[in-house]
Amino acid sequence: MRFHFPIFAFPPEAEALRAEVRAFVAGELAAGRWKKGGDFASNYDPAFSQRLGARGWLGMTWPKRYGGHERTMLERLVVTEELLAASAPVAAHWIGDRQSGPLLLRYGSESQRAEFLPRLARGDIFFSIGMSEPDSGSDLASVRTRATKVDGGWTISGRKVWTTFAHRNHYAIVLARTGDAGAQRHASLSQFIVDLKSPQVKARPIVNMAGQEEFNEVVFDDAFVPDDRLVGEPGNGWTQVTSELAFERSGPERYLSSIRLVEAALACAKDKPTPRVREALGRMSAKLMALRTMSLAVAAQLQNGEAPNLEASLIKDLGNAFEREQIAVFRALGSELPRRSDDYLSALAQATLYSPSWTLRGGTREILRGIVARGLGLR
Amino acid sequence: MSLAPILGTDPLIEEAATRAFNDLAEKWFAGKITRENLLAAVEQFGFADASPGEDGGAWLAAAAIIRAQARAAAPIDMALLLATGERAAAIAHDPAEYFCDATAPAPASAAAHAALTLGRCLQVGAAMGAALELSIRYVQDRKQFGRPLAQFQAIQHSLALAAEEVAACSAITDLALACAAREGIASKRLPALLDAAALVAGQAVNVVYDMTHQVHGAIGFTQEYALHRHSLDLLRWRDHLHLARGGDIGCAERLGDAALEAGSAWRAVTASMTPGDSP
Repeated sequence: MRFHFPIFAFPPEAEALRAEVRAFVAGELAAGRWKKGGDFASNYDPAFSQRLGARGWLGMTWPKRYGGHERTMLERLVVTEELLAASAPVAAHWIGDRQSGPLLLRYGSESQRAEFLPRLARGDIFFSIGMSEPDSGSDLASVRTRATKVDGGWTISGRKVWTTFAHRNHYAIVLARTGDAGAQRHASLSQFIVDLKSPQVKARPIVNMAGQEEFNEVVFDDAFVPDDRLVGEPGNGWTQVTSELAFERSGPERYLSSIRLVEAALACAKDKPTPRVREALGRMSAKLMALRTMSLAVAAQLQNGEAPNLEASLIKDLGNAFEREQIAVFRALGSELPRRSDDYLSALAQATLYSPSWTLRGGTREILRGIVARGLGLR
Repeated sequence: MSLAPILGTDPLIEEAATRAFNDLAEKWFAGKITRENLLAAVEQFGFADASPGEDGGAWLAAAAIIRAQARAAAPIDMALLLATGERAAAIAHDPAEYFCDATAPAPASAAAHAALTLGRCLQVGAAMGAALELSIRYVQDRKQFGRPLAQFQAIQHSLALAAEEVAACSAITDLALACAAREGIASKRLPALLDAAALVAGQAVNVVYDMTHQVHGAIGFTQEYALHRHSLDLLRWRDHLHLARGGDIGCAERLGDAALEAGSAWRAVTASMTPGDSP
């Protein structure tokens, strides 16, 4: 076996937490605080994120001295998967909670951790990822945004694109070139915490195909960044970026993007389910169980300090294909549903429109398959 | 805080399998337990198409050994497991009958039935793993257009897809195996996991059968080259697996009913994956 996903089980305290999250979600829905919709990259609600922070459900695995709660990655997985399964508005805190926080814990300075982590864990500040550029998509190591050393800090110049919620978030972790790109392009990259509200930083929403303002072009015009906003060592940016990948690619957001559509179809069908509806729900459930088993394995390995990047890429490719497949299946079943509810129609439209982004964001399917192929010894 | 996997480093499954196998071995080999005997028993009860024992123990033992082999050895030494000549003769004689398990007696108990499914899932997984490994070696050796096939992105992605499906099949099968090992073969949760494993295995077979043959070209379609052995095995065991559970649509409908009953696909999935109170 080239890839191995050891079998883990959620401990009883994690299952108890699941019940808590479900009760919380039910209460929020009953109070009409938000409507189900969108996904981790589109459904933005800072007040909701703050309520999660107040319950201790942000920064769950971080040390208490940084405002975290020292719970396990498995408990965090319970919270994230339950929120996604409920199509809750998690977009504001998602990136900071998933990867910016862990990045700072691993590579950040003591003062960076003390300054940013407690606020992230409260849901008071939100982070974006500044990686892609107009000329650098999948070929991330070709980025041209440059950070130049000046007295007391750096000035950053360049452009980032597809920066989700940069127009609303507070900070971005920006990957910029700090050395000569020619000789060793991977060794001349560094990461900076950049204040998105700085006057030299302009975020302009790029309206997406669904007509929404979610991702942005961000222009850095000699934006000054003090020395203490450099994350880790200069020139270590590539290593740091790749260390985020297991966090970025293995989570339930990579296979639950169409769960709202599935649940809405189920709700329409439940009084008189046809054999085809039963079959579709069953096939979906089976693959979901496999993906969830794999995702749980990676979460546990992360908890144990391992870096299962390859396995994470595999989960994302498999999960993205799975979530896209559900759209065709549950669209076709529409004619067998006794009543196509507004919820079903809205979920179907949303999933259909957004699905091209699923297999692009966080690593295209082509990049992911290349990584899996490398794991097979083919590259 | 460090976490321990419940299957893998935990000796539970190995213990359960060893216990089951020891019972079996005692019966069949009068206490003479050697590696050769063990493999012979696996071949007799796990890989030959014999009826599983009433207690399902033989299948559980076979399952554990297939899994251990699949994990330890790449490529798997399928020669230990297969009677090549017999298979070649059988497929030439009557392909339809080869895939059909009509002559196999139905398992005597629910436990034996569960163990049979588990064994079949592991067999399918092992055969897919072997086909994948052979394909990886082949595309590294075979040159066209002046370079190894492995260097073509289309080939890399084809085998990556196959590997992903094999990994998914292995994960859900291991989950079912862990359930059987920890809660017993009669666990109430096990049937849903086995239905899921049967479905995931079936989908994986479609992809693996397609991709491994495609990257091999015509040589994979011969009896002189080894790929056909794995292909015939994975196809046959896949069919036996699905027949044993009343067809793959049956598996899907049962899981779908569980989702409908729970009023939520997500809740049904989490419930079936949550260990019960049983030890």
